Amino acid sequence: MSSRAKAKQANRIVREQLAAEQRRRRTTVVSIVAAAVLVLAGLIGFGVYLNQKPPSDVAVPAHSTSDHTGIQVSSGPVPVDHLVAKKKITLVYHPIAILNDRSNPPGYSVRAGSAAGCASAAGRFLEYTKALYSKQPEEGSAGLSDDELVQLGTGIGLSDSGFAQCVRAETYSAWMANNTDAAAAKNINETPTLLVKGKPVTATVQALRSAVG
Amino acid sequence: MAYQRLTIVIRPWLATGARLVLAVVFALAGWAKVSDLAGSGRAVNAYQLMPFGVARVIGAALPFVELALAVLLLVGLATRLAAGFAAGLLTVFLVGISSVWARGLSIDCGCFGGGGQLAAGAHPNYFWDLVRDLALLALAVFLFLTPRTPVSVDNYVLGTTADEGAA
Repeated sequence: MSSRAKAKQANRIVREQLAAEQRRRRTTVVSIVAAAVLVLAGLIGFGVYLNQKPPSDVAVPAHSTSDHTGIQVSSGPVPVDHLVAKKKITLVYHPIAILNDRSNPPGYSVRAGSAAGCASAAGRFLEYTKALYSKQPEEGSAGLSDDELVQLGTGIGLSDSGFAQCVRAETYSAWMANNTDAAAAKNINETPTLLVKGKPVTATVQALRSAVG
Repeated sequence: MAYQRLTIVIRPWLATGARLVLAVVFALAGWAKVSDLAGSGRAVNAYQLMPFGVARVIGAALPFVELALAVLLLVGLATRLAAGFAAGLLTVFLVGISSVWARGLSIDCGCFGGGGQLAAGAHPNYFWDLVRDLALLALAVFLFLTPRTPVSVDNYVLGTTADEGAA
């Protein structure tokens, strides 16, 4: 090989090495940028969530203040009325909205639960909840309109304008959000879920009776 | 020889297909969850794999990460990194669903919104959730191994030289 050809070849190798080096650098920069985008997206999600979080000092309606018994029953086919009648338990209601996305449009669980909060503030929680369940909508349907929720109250003697206003303003929607999160923290994710003193119990009358003693 | 040629021509286009399929799936999954971040946190919590506080953070971050990943895949930027990240994410999902199945929990996977409580009359669908995620994982691995694809930003940013050193 002539010296000229040798020099040419050496030049080519150096050029290729430089190009490869440049590619590597660019690749590293692009990768870092892409990784940063993914991390940033996660941080944005967390930030948005923190901004959406309801305030923790939400007014709690009178009938749902405490939970001495340690029994939590999500709505479902476990009748507990007889235990209440025999004074075996104190029944405290915490409406939750784990099926909020099952109405169309989503949001009926929170609207209905928040209306129940309004009824509770007016001292008619049980009657109103019973009325709500008598009109429980099919999954995938719209549920009751605000007007119908107000009417439901009128039917059980809640005819004042304060109640109607409370329902329409969804005054207790933040309360519902808090209830739902509190339930999720106790791993109440499905109906029926039955916990006695924090321990899961098969959701049957038999199991409940023996657990309560 | 002809066969080899064919795979050299077709394989990058198949990888573009894989890239777009993954992009669409992650976009749908992220979009379905992003409007209800609290619900997304509860869906993560329903797996009962971590404390509620941690589940809430992951539930809030996940939809945005999925959307960002979908954008990277859609435009084909840092394809190898995105494909690797997608494969990692899918592996986590596979482990999560398997563990829920093994522990006998009865939940909706929440993969595309919802989560936790199953719809009325629905049974858990873990088998098909796993099949779907395994298929997507295969696509992600294929894309990781074939990161330089036609119609991608990588081709402009990183130059058009073949496979080597592709992000």
